[in-house]
Amino acid sequence: MRKIRLLSRRGFLRGRATGSNQGHQTMFFRIVSDSFARKPRRKALTAAALALGMAVATATLEVALDVGDRLAHEFRSLGANLLVTPASDTLPLEIGGIDYRPVDSGAYLPSGELGKLKTIFWRNNIVGFAPFLDVPVAIAPGGPTEQLIGTWYSHAVAVPDGSKFVTGVSATDPWWHVDGRWFSDGAEEALAGSSLAQRLNLHVGSSVKVNAGAHAHALTITGIVSTGGREDNAILAPLEIAQDLAGHPGQYRRLLVSALTKPADAFSERDPRTMTPADYDRWYCSPYISSISLQMQQQLPGVEVRAIRQVAEGEGRILTRVGGLMWLVTIAALFAAALAVGATSATTVLERRAEIGLMKALGASYRAVSAFFIAEQLLLALAGGVLGYALGVVLARALGIEIFGVAPALRWILFPIVLLLAGMVALAGSLVPLGRASRVDPAPVLRGE
Amino acid sequence: MATRSMFLRILWKLLGASRGRLAVALVALTSGAAVSSALLNVNLDAERKLTQEFRTLGANVVVAPPSTGSDAALTGAGVMDSIAGLQSPRIVAAAPYLYVAANSGTQPVILAGTWFDQVAKMNSWWKVDGNWITSQDSHLQCIVGRDAARQLNLLPGSSIELRSGEHTVSLMVAGIVTTGGAEDSQIFTDLDIAQNLAGLSGRVTLVQLSVSGTPPEIEDVTKRLAGALPGLDVRPVRQIAAAEGIILGRIRGLIFWTIMLILALSMLGVLASMAALAMDRSRDVGLMKAMGGSVQRIMRLFLVEAGALGALGGTIGFLVGVVLARWMGGRVFGVAISPRPVVFPVTIILTVAVALVGALPLRLLGRVRPAEILRGE
Amino acid sequence: MAPLVQVEHLEKRFGEVRALDRVSFDVDSGEWIAIMGPSGSGKTTLINILGGLEHPTAGRVAVDGMEIANLGERELTRYRSDKIGFVFQQFHLVPYLSAVENVMLAQYFHSITDEEEAAESLRRVGLGDRLDHVPAQLSGGEQQRVAIARALINHPKLILADEPTGNLDEANEVVILNLLRDLHDSGHTILVVTHSQVIGNMADRRVELEHGRLARISTPSVAKE
Repeated sequence: MRKIRLLSRRGFLRGRATGSNQGHQTMFFRIVSDSFARKPRRKALTAAALALGMAVATATLEVALDVGDRLAHEFRSLGANLLVTPASDTLPLEIGGIDYRPVDSGAYLPSGELGKLKTIFWRNNIVGFAPFLDVPVAIAPGGPTEQLIGTWYSHAVAVPDGSKFVTGVSATDPWWHVDGRWFSDGAEEALAGSSLAQRLNLHVGSSVKVNAGAHAHALTITGIVSTGGREDNAILAPLEIAQDLAGHPGQYRRLLVSALTKPADAFSERDPRTMTPADYDRWYCSPYISSISLQMQQQLPGVEVRAIRQVAEGEGRILTRVGGLMWLVTIAALFAAALAVGATSATTVLERRAEIGLMKALGASYRAVSAFFIAEQLLLALAGGVLGYALGVVLARALGIEIFGVAPALRWILFPIVLLLAGMVALAGSLVPLGRASRVDPAPVLRGE
Repeated sequence: MATRSMFLRILWKLLGASRGRLAVALVALTSGAAVSSALLNVNLDAERKLTQEFRTLGANVVVAPPSTGSDAALTGAGVMDSIAGLQSPRIVAAAPYLYVAANSGTQPVILAGTWFDQVAKMNSWWKVDGNWITSQDSHLQCIVGRDAARQLNLLPGSSIELRSGEHTVSLMVAGIVTTGGAEDSQIFTDLDIAQNLAGLSGRVTLVQLSVSGTPPEIEDVTKRLAGALPGLDVRPVRQIAAAEGIILGRIRGLIFWTIMLILALSMLGVLASMAALAMDRSRDVGLMKAMGGSVQRIMRLFLVEAGALGALGGTIGFLVGVVLARWMGGRVFGVAISPRPVVFPVTIILTVAVALVGALPLRLLGRVRPAEILRGE
Repeated sequence: MAPLVQVEHLEKRFGEVRALDRVSFDVDSGEWIAIMGPSGSGKTTLINILGGLEHPTAGRVAVDGMEIANLGERELTRYRSDKIGFVFQQFHLVPYLSAVENVMLAQYFHSITDEEEAAESLRRVGLGDRLDHVPAQLSGGEQQRVAIARALINHPKLILADEPTGNLDEANEVVILNLLRDLHDSGHTILVVTHSQVIGNMADRRVELEHGRLARISTPSVAKE
């Protein structure tokens, strides 16, 4: 019945409404609609095939658009990619993990200001940060000097907008391995580096007395840390304790920041001072490491921000490669989807030869026949596309969680795109057999061969 | 014998009669096979290429003496010889470092002695303003980290005098290096010069190595190194290894699931064709059953047909896939991907499996009841 | 001698509908039986059951000493290839096989193929020069002749024909009926479903069905030549 309405709306045979032609028209519609009402399962199969193909296309596109963000997150497991130091600091003197600089030389930065980092334009890209303050201490009175590194593990930072941001070394050095547990914020606890612990025979639960100058603290070792770096030979303690021992309350000397960045390209490497206002806006509003550095510098006075290039550049290079790879994979999947859907479409139209022959025998022109079929295929594509998008979103969720452990951020722009794709593929798939079928003699087809 | 040739005769004519549908099914199978095999080739090669990329992130293995005191401990002489003696092709670079506390005038600074050609291989991110130092140079030269240069007022071409204990050395600044890391506050020179300045001939503080390969291969080299260097710590640099493992795992997952999806779609296309084919053939099957043909014989016919289609589609698809993979590799890595022979049998097996499963509608024909079909719709 | 076909209280129900309702009759070897009746009377169902294409709901059918009412699928298949030759109204030739191959198909499902024998059977029905033609190249009458050759090739005990001339014009109808008469004269047992009185009168006996029930068994009054 739907077919009759559709046909009459299109008015194939309009304009020839004499008495006998009226009867002719009605007969035509009746025969045609009868033949189309047959095999509704065919239609359902086409729509289902279209839906599945579009579901795969949707899922692939959603995941592909998300891959860049996901991998950027994964790269944060490389640790901090930005280093903040006082603009006017003295040269660090480090051998074997010990900084031999006198404690009172050089510049310091206020740790109370760190909350401002979460107010910059790209605040949501600041995954975490950790301040460091090193103090040479003595374990036993008069004993050899060891390095004490003060930092945060999981510290609540007050952000000017009233919220709290919990961060610390967990974000900037996630590969550090602790046997035991980390020290609690503000407690008289510490971690012992693996080499140091071996040397001084420290275990979880041991108690050490550290003093520097006039200050002393008794710290309980809650864990043994191994990093592969200078920390293996040091004691890690909460920043506040280091600040107290050094006689520099509320200060730090070095800040590591882990930020989600966009790989650097020719545009981002330009000097911002030479950019036009439009370009400058574009650069500022892209999460390049250079623009994030500038924004941090604007918030924290007296600092110098630079990229830890080993991490930043390596990440950029690999991300670009992998991004390219992922796009190719996506295109491959889309191509396969289009072919599969096209094949299904072609198959189902191919067997409408009998109906096409019938229509032609009754006097319908090729244009009229094609127009009807195309309209029908587009309707099916619409139904298939909507269903396919819904299924695709579910599939994308499942894939995202399976591969990355987190569902992808959905992009609604894909909905019209998927519908368009469905329409195009269904159209292309049906045009070929339509073309072929229209050139076939109706007679043998109607005889039932 | 006559029956065997009759079987083939029927099969041949059957294929000819269903040309159109089978062509569509073949297209579905071939495209699925092509894309799957291309992705498999790309995946196998991509991992290798990506691990190479990760090697440019710096050293992934460090050799150092187990710390015995807060003074910088030193390795024994000949450690570099032992490493070279291993002759492992996986060791892409091995750079020794000797750190010396020196003074320039009243300003203390760390001098690091190393082999620049090895450092160049490992640390791709070192950006040098000025000139690099090659081992051919006869002058006494150094490369200065940018913070150190700022503190000591040095530019490329300047001269700096360093003193350690009773030894002094005068070096010309060849270039300034910016890394964003600890190197920015150090001065680098040739290992011999640093060893002479410190009076520690033949000793080094540690050795950084860049070892190529998959994580298990790297671990194997680490073990062999530990065996060749008793008394020293051979440790992986966990920072890079962890990230590398995660990223490669994600990519593997992505490609795996993409291949699964594509095969599913391919099966869809095949199913559609086969469903149409089954409808076409239902009358003939009903007829054959009415004539007393056993179901097994008929099913065998269809099975052979589907299997042959799968094998054909898999072969053509594989060849197309090789071309596709080369192109993809060129786009992403700038290097053509060499196809792996193992992908061929895998592709064939997968495609034949898809064809056989997709031929399900034909197998359902076995249940056709001749009377219903022959009654004529 | 025992009848070739024995049908006893044959019933076929489709849900509530009784297509066949306790039909009983016998057929002797060499007889030509016409099964007649209005449409919906169960003629096709009856012949389908005799041809092993359908199972009866109740009752007994014996053909050549074999009880076929409750045979399993495998035995029924064997029965069909061995004892029955079926001719359909729509011919039902395999469209992509030639005439001789269509006949060989029946041999293939029975035992072994023999192209010469198949060719000979086609010559006997007058199609010696059409051996390699596909059905599309044959007229309706020629196609039905191929179908008959196919039905005969395995020397069946029983020839079943469901409206064999229903799709043919008058001229071809005559050809086919003459063929059937020749077969009858040479001793074949033939059951023909028909609604044509003319064909009915050519038979030895007429089994007339109405609403699935056996209305009467009659002998044509017209003397045969």
